[in-house]
Order: sequence, then C-alpha cells, then structure tokens
Amino acid sequence: MADWTELHEALADYTVSCNTNERLRKMQRDWTRLLHFECADNAVTFTMDVDHGEIVRVCEGHEGVPDIVVTTESEVFCDMFWGDLNPVQKYLRGEIKVKGTQEDVMRLDAISYVIWPDA
Amino acid sequence: MGDEAAAPSTSHVLRRSIGTPTAVATSTGLAFAAIDFLGVVSVATYALGASAWLAILIGGLIVLLVSGIFSELNGLFPTAAGIRLYIGRAIGPRTSLAVGFTYMSTVILVIAADAFLIGAAIGHVLHEPPWLSYVWIVVLLAVAAGANLRGIRLAGWLQSIVTYTVLASTSVLSVIAIFHVGGSFKKPFGLFDHGSFSVVQAIAFSLFLYAAFEWVTTTAEEARRPQVITRALFIAPVLIWGAATLFSLALAHLVPPGLSHGSAYPQLLMGTATLGTVGELWMFAVTLLTALNTFNGGFLVASRFIYATARDGSLPRSFAKLNLQAVPWLAVVTLAGTSAVVAAVVFATHQWLLLVAVGATIEAAIYAVGSWCVLALRKKDLRERPFRLAAARPLATFGLVLFTFLALASGLSDPKNAHKLSLLPITVIAVIAVLSTGYVMLVMPKLQAQAAARAAIARPKRRPTRPDQDGTTSLVE
Repeated sequence: MADWTELHEALADYTVSCNTNERLRKMQRDWTRLLHFECADNAVTFTMDVDHGEIVRVCEGHEGVPDIVVTTESEVFCDMFWGDLNPVQKYLRGEIKVKGTQEDVMRLDAISYVIWPDA
Repeated sequence: MGDEAAAPSTSHVLRRSIGTPTAVATSTGLAFAAIDFLGVVSVATYALGASAWLAILIGGLIVLLVSGIFSELNGLFPTAAGIRLYIGRAIGPRTSLAVGFTYMSTVILVIAADAFLIGAAIGHVLHEPPWLSYVWIVVLLAVAAGANLRGIRLAGWLQSIVTYTVLASTSVLSVIAIFHVGGSFKKPFGLFDHGSFSVVQAIAFSLFLYAAFEWVTTTAEEARRPQVITRALFIAPVLIWGAATLFSLALAHLVPPGLSHGSAYPQLLMGTATLGTVGELWMFAVTLLTALNTFNGGFLVASRFIYATARDGSLPRSFAKLNLQAVPWLAVVTLAGTSAVVAAVVFATHQWLLLVAVGATIEAAIYAVGSWCVLALRKKDLRERPFRLAAARPLATFGLVLFTFLALASGLSDPKNAHKLSLLPITVIAVIAVLSTGYVMLVMPKLQAQAAARAAIARPKRRPTRPDQDGTTSLVE
C-alpha cells in the first residue's frame, strides 16, 4: 500500500515527464480537465488540474467538480505514474475504474502511451 | 464490512455527465440508421400484407427482455470495457475477445451499409448514373474518416437533436402517408398467413431494427447515475418501435411490396408516394441526418475499441498510434477502407438485404451470449447489482433458447426470396467468427509474448526501491 508521500513522488515525476514532452503537449493542447483520483485501499485522494495539456497543479484531497474520476489501488497508481504498467490492461480487467467520457478515458491513457510507449 | 469503510465514495457528480434524455438519444441514435428502412422491408418480406407492424411489436417486446439482460450486466460492469469483462468472467477472456471482434464487425457492416444506402439515395435524387453512386459512397466515407481524424465529432446535444429530428420526421411523414387517400392496408393481421417459420423469420428481422441500442452501455462511465443507462435501455426500444411501426404501415399503405423489396431506398419511395418531390426530399434529408449519427458514433466506438485492444497487446501495436489530435489514425483509416470495400461488394452484387440478414443474426447471437452471461454470473459473481432482472434464471434461459433460434432463423434466410432458405448469411458470419477465433487462438498469443519480451528488454522499472519495514530494500511490486 502506497501512502501520499510515495504517490506524491510518483506524481512529481509524472508531471515533469508530461510537461516536458513536446509531442504530448501538442496532442493535448485542447485538453483542459480536472481529475480526481481515489485509492480504493487506503482512501487517499488527490486532484490533478490539467490546463491545455499541461499539468498545472497536483494536490492531496479533492477540489472542485471533476471531469474524470479514477479509482484503483494505491500501488497501481504508483506504478502507473512511474510508467511501470500499462493502464489499459488494468482498465480492461476492471482493476482501474474511471468515471468520465470515453474520449477522456482514452486521452488519459494516451498520456502514458506517449511518454512510455514500451510500458 | 471493512472494505466499504476504506472504499471511497462513488457518487461523484461529473462536470460533463449525461442524463436520461441524452442517454436515450444515444441509444436510439445508435440503432436507428438508414439501414433500418431496409430492415422494415426485410420484415415485410416475411410478414404478409401490412402485418409487419405485428412482427415489429413482438420483436419490441422481446427486446425489452434484452433491455433487462443488459441492464443487469451493465450494473455489474458499468464501463466501456463491459462486454469484455462480463463475457470474460462468464465464459473466458479469449471468448470475450473473439465475440468482441465479431461484434465490431457489425459496426463496419452498418457503416458500409449506410454509406452504400446514402450513396444510392443521392444517385436517385440527383438522377445520376449508378456508377456515380459509388463515388458518393467513397466521398462520404472519406469525409467521415477525415472529420474523425481531425478530432471533429458531434457534441452530445447536437447528436440528441439529430436523433429526435430523425424520429419525429420519419413518424410525421409516415402518419401523413397512412392517412393518404388512395392506399390500402391488405391483411394487417395476416402475420401467420405465410406459415409459422416465416413468422419466426419476420420477428428475427424485426430485432435488427433495434440492433445496437444496447451499445449505450459503453457510455456507462459518463452517466450521472447507473439508472440513467437502465432507463435508456428501456425507453429507446419504445421510440424505435414507434417510428418503425409507423414507417412499416406507411410503406404497406402506399408502396407496392414488389417495388420496395427491390429498392435500396424504400424511404424515398414512401416519401414520393406521399408528398411527391417534397416527400422524397423530406426522406432524403432524414437519410442524410441518420448518416451523421452512424458515422460519428460508428467510427468513434469501433476505432476506440481497436485502440484499446492494440494497447492491451491483443492487436498489432500500430493500431494504437495516435495523431496530433489524439485520434488512433490507423484504426480510423482501416475502418474507412474496410467499409469502402464492403460497400463496393454490396454495390457490385446488389446484396444489400444480405447485410440486414447478417446484422440480424449477429445481434440475436449477441443477445443469446448476454443471456448466458446473466445465467453464469448469477452463480459466479454474487455482488449486489443496481438492477436485477426479475425471474432471471427462467427468463435468461428462455432468452438463450429464443435468441439462438432467432439467430438461426435469420441466418438461414434467403435475403432475396422469402420462400427459400439460404446458407449465405450464416456462412458470412461463420467466416467472420472463424477469422476472429483463429486470430485470438493463434496470432494473439504470439503478439502478446512479443510485447511482453519487448517491454522486459526495453527498460527497467522506473519506480525507485523503498526500504521494507525490516530494514531490507526491495523493488515495489
């Protein structure tokens, strides 16, 4: 089980990887969303604010009305943000649950795919 | 329960969640395509005189059972990947993928059929030579694929307006046709006059009119509440039933069966017979509007399925390649190309009614699989369901037998001759199913092994190690 400190470390790396990837920024230039994340095993929650493809803020707890809500185990979140697992495989097995439009679900995965195509 | 204490709340309000009217419009719009006009003609082929409405009514009542089945399955797996999850849990993951591929082939059939029908309608209205119709088909597919590649898609509210306009326009013109002087209703209750197997075939084809309404379950993740999808699953068939019934009565009233059966645009014939050129243009506009929903929804649903399957390692990785609009471009281009080839085959062979037969058979087979899943999951998955099908065991067993029988009835029909049986529809489906299964059994395992090997070699885990409680250090798994 990963706590907020560990998740925060993973999120910091993820933010840098996203924001410095030019292709991803271009691809997500019209994507402005507020994401809520929930750890199903330890009830840790956090919020991510994406503005025109750039992750502008990540904070503990839930803020605002989300466009997307992602729920899974804290360990899965950590591996996902470090790029060590393929989110689609977990999603297709029902281990990652997402509330949001299909387009947003795909965009969310596209981030991981563009940064870590080999995962 | 301890799990519940730790589990976060699931009652989130999303900024962009959809309510019942949008979900109903989505479900109806997915089902009501231009090929439904041919579907009504197919039903009328087996239902004597003006009695097609009876078959459509019986089909509609049967579809309400389908609504119950998919409501229960969707409640258990409220996700776009639901079909893979519930078939996977009930039967097996490989079966779920083979069924998924076969299911997706109906999307290609519907896109190809709509492209063909609209091309034929344009050719008819503009009085152009037949070969120009195929040019229109290619142009339509290219425009639809191009718009999709650019990331352009109908907004939800516009999709709802299009759907309700199509239904209302078809119904209004049909009512005018029904009250038109000069027509006649022959044998409106003569459904059983052709013999009992013809009745079964008429009902089997009537299922096609509702086909794809259950795809609304793929939007479960954006629904405001789980009940939204359940309501859509029960309301949409009623709307489709209303419009299809009125259209069948209008057609029977004013258009001789010999004329409508050989035509690729019976709706235009009905329009012309009702209000002359105005009626023809009215139904032409309706036909074009149906295309917006078919192309928008069809390309979107199928290309995202291909993307997810490729990302999962079950299709070649190139199908997951994204363009700068975050669209899986190879999936979209492949869909458009395949649809163009299927439309060309239909164009050359004039076998448009075969598409209806194949579509009806696949849908009935999917409903049988859904019934099986309800039965199996009642034993394997004891979780609470937001929607429980009443008397599930007898009803799902009945559904399994009924839909298998209806699949065989439409699969063995001769699309061009109501009095003959033919192996053609079921052969087409068998080829699709064998190719899907063969791929899943033989090719996919190799692809997955290659992907796993590549991932292992490509790079080590990035997640840092952390000290364990006993002071040692280990990789986090």
